[in-house]
Amino acid sequence: MTQLSAATHFDAIVVGSGMTGGWAAKELTELGLRTLVLEAGRDIQPQRDSVEHKAPFEMPFRGLGDRRAVEARQRVQRNSVSFDELSRVFWTDDVDNPYSTPDNKRFDWFRARQVGGKSIIWGRQVYRMSDLDFDANVRDGIAVDWPIRYRDIAPWYDRVERFIGVSGQAEGVDHLPDGAFLPPMPMNCVEQHVKNRIAVRYGRERIMTIGRVAVLTEARPGRGACHYCGPCQRGCSTRSYFSSVNATLPTARATGRLTLRPFSVVRALSYDAKRKRVSGVRAVDARTGAELEFTARVVFLCASAIESARLLLNSATPEFPNGLANSSDQVGRNIMDHIKWGGATGEFDGFSDKRVVGERPNGIYVPRFRNVSSRHPDFVRGYGFQGGASRAGWQSATRAPGIGLAFKKRLTQLGPWTMAFNGYGEMLPRETNRASLHPTLVDRWGISSLHIECEWSPNELAIHRDMNVTASELLAAAGATNIQPSTRGPSTPGNANHEMGTARMGRDAKSSVLSKWNQSWDVPNLFMTDGACMTSSPARTPHSRIWHSPRACAVTQLKR
Amino acid sequence: MERRALIEWMVATGGAAAFNRLSAQDLVALGHDVHRQAQPASRAGRALPAHAAHSVRVAAERIIPASDSPGATQAGVTPFIDTMLADWYAPADRDRFLVGLADLDMRSRSRQGRVFVDSAPAAQVAMLEALDDDVVAIRRTRGAAANEHWFAMLKYLTVWGYCTSEAGMRETLHSYPPPMRYDGFAPLR
Repeated sequence: MTQLSAATHFDAIVVGSGMTGGWAAKELTELGLRTLVLEAGRDIQPQRDSVEHKAPFEMPFRGLGDRRAVEARQRVQRNSVSFDELSRVFWTDDVDNPYSTPDNKRFDWFRARQVGGKSIIWGRQVYRMSDLDFDANVRDGIAVDWPIRYRDIAPWYDRVERFIGVSGQAEGVDHLPDGAFLPPMPMNCVEQHVKNRIAVRYGRERIMTIGRVAVLTEARPGRGACHYCGPCQRGCSTRSYFSSVNATLPTARATGRLTLRPFSVVRALSYDAKRKRVSGVRAVDARTGAELEFTARVVFLCASAIESARLLLNSATPEFPNGLANSSDQVGRNIMDHIKWGGATGEFDGFSDKRVVGERPNGIYVPRFRNVSSRHPDFVRGYGFQGGASRAGWQSATRAPGIGLAFKKRLTQLGPWTMAFNGYGEMLPRETNRASLHPTLVDRWGISSLHIECEWSPNELAIHRDMNVTASELLAAAGATNIQPSTRGPSTPGNANHEMGTARMGRDAKSSVLSKWNQSWDVPNLFMTDGACMTSSPARTPHSRIWHSPRACAVTQLKR
Repeated sequence: MERRALIEWMVATGGAAAFNRLSAQDLVALGHDVHRQAQPASRAGRALPAHAAHSVRVAAERIIPASDSPGATQAGVTPFIDTMLADWYAPADRDRFLVGLADLDMRSRSRQGRVFVDSAPAAQVAMLEALDDDVVAIRRTRGAAANEHWFAMLKYLTVWGYCTSEAGMRETLHSYPPPMRYDGFAPLR
């Protein structure tokens, strides 16, 4: 896929080759623009680099990971649920890429530097936003209003979903709009039972559906249907799940107008004060140390929310002393993630003659039901549940008593059916949750690093508490036994890997960084189409959704 | 007393009182010496001296014996444990494990008059069951702290190594090769 070229001038430059950089590359090249995609990390080719079929016995540590190497180099990245012995190569090196936080406010900044970025290791869940979300800030008097509504974005959702392929079940829920779904993945026997019982108890108020997931359940040209092998975070040699390397970048390459340059660490954007436009970017070759400069008519930042903000902060000029395109002083502020680790588990009798065969890369979903048609006294906004039912295998017996033949037999027996509901809660935007340039700390290439200060507010903590209550209610309604509410405290901010909001879109240049077209108010040929643009953080996995679509709006704007 | 002389004295007498005075290195050396007297039956690994490797092999096979499907030995559990001790655990954990193995031989000598691997199978099983009971007792009062007991390490690594081995996955757990399909209503095997 790599096409190194001596050219330094392009129609468009896209910084980042992941989830949103891939979309920018696809749309821009299809519009006829010669497009340079700069990626800080190495090249990735799905057929060569996917390792999802490696067996445990082919791994030196049998899935337990290279503990010493990880402790030395990836003390942050290892906190992700998708980080494992094989997938660790898809996360950055924390020593080369440092940042700081206050000692008492940890923040998990998960980063991926390779072609494909975090689209290789994402959770693949995709849910549409609705006007319950777009109206939220103005209704609650929080932060600024979204400059768009569902009707503006619905056609782009259709377009994006048709291309990426989303499997799911239409449910007719107003605040969780349906899409053009591929056939849904099946629930297992206990999940189906729980769904039915919840429907009996709660009617339409609380529903449970199969997860909507960007994984093919039917083959597409160049991409195979999912074969349920399991560990998507290790890549996908059949290109069944959506990622930039599996879908958008090959499409962009097919136009003949894509130049993809790995090992290109962007230092800053170049600004032409006379024309009041960005003129390009300055970068360093990660292998040779050579300084690079590229110019273009437009620049798209798709480096991930916090990294894109860092680039602007590192691109100060006399006109923009606190960071390029930052006259609003909102760049780096309003960091949002989703709060997790609330929920419950419960056991189910009556299905002991059944088991699951295969690994479904998807679970169930309970859309938000708080503050939809009634008002909760303790918090605004809400949360959804992901989860699923399973039976534990030998892993639950590693600490069990006994030795000998009876113990060996126990290793082959399955544990009770256990159903889990895990909450993902909305986080309010707050200006004090902020990434700013660190005065001294730099990365391996001498580029200023960030100091990140981010914490939950009482609203998020109230949401987290409520997750335990309602998850237990759902399990009780379904007839579970041994219901155990979560004993975990709130997740570390950032740990959901959904960071967003650091260059929010809004209705004016004074209070926001981007217009409804994802276009900088201050610098009209600068676009940001990654998670930085989010004005609020709807309690559903935002990946790949909204910021693909305004990006397409931006392209439309650009054509004029 | 010279370390060498001490070790010879200990081997000769089974002097458990002196046991606490030994460093981990001494105990490893002790294992070597004891083993030199026994017949070499395992090659040294990177963390496990030959006799310790032999002890691990025998103990792991007692924990997960061969039946109509492979046991721990055939599944290659010993080399896996050696890799984990050499490259994964902290040196202090590895040393605690080696001390535990040496202690197992000391107990075996004082009760059976011979090292663990040379004891009768029933005696081996009894010694390991006693250790398993020790871990259960610690777990009852101190929870996960029991995992630090050397025998808890041995058993955990034996189970993990076995259940992630090709032999264990193919022939005992039937979890390899993966089915490459999904069925959420499959009958129990």
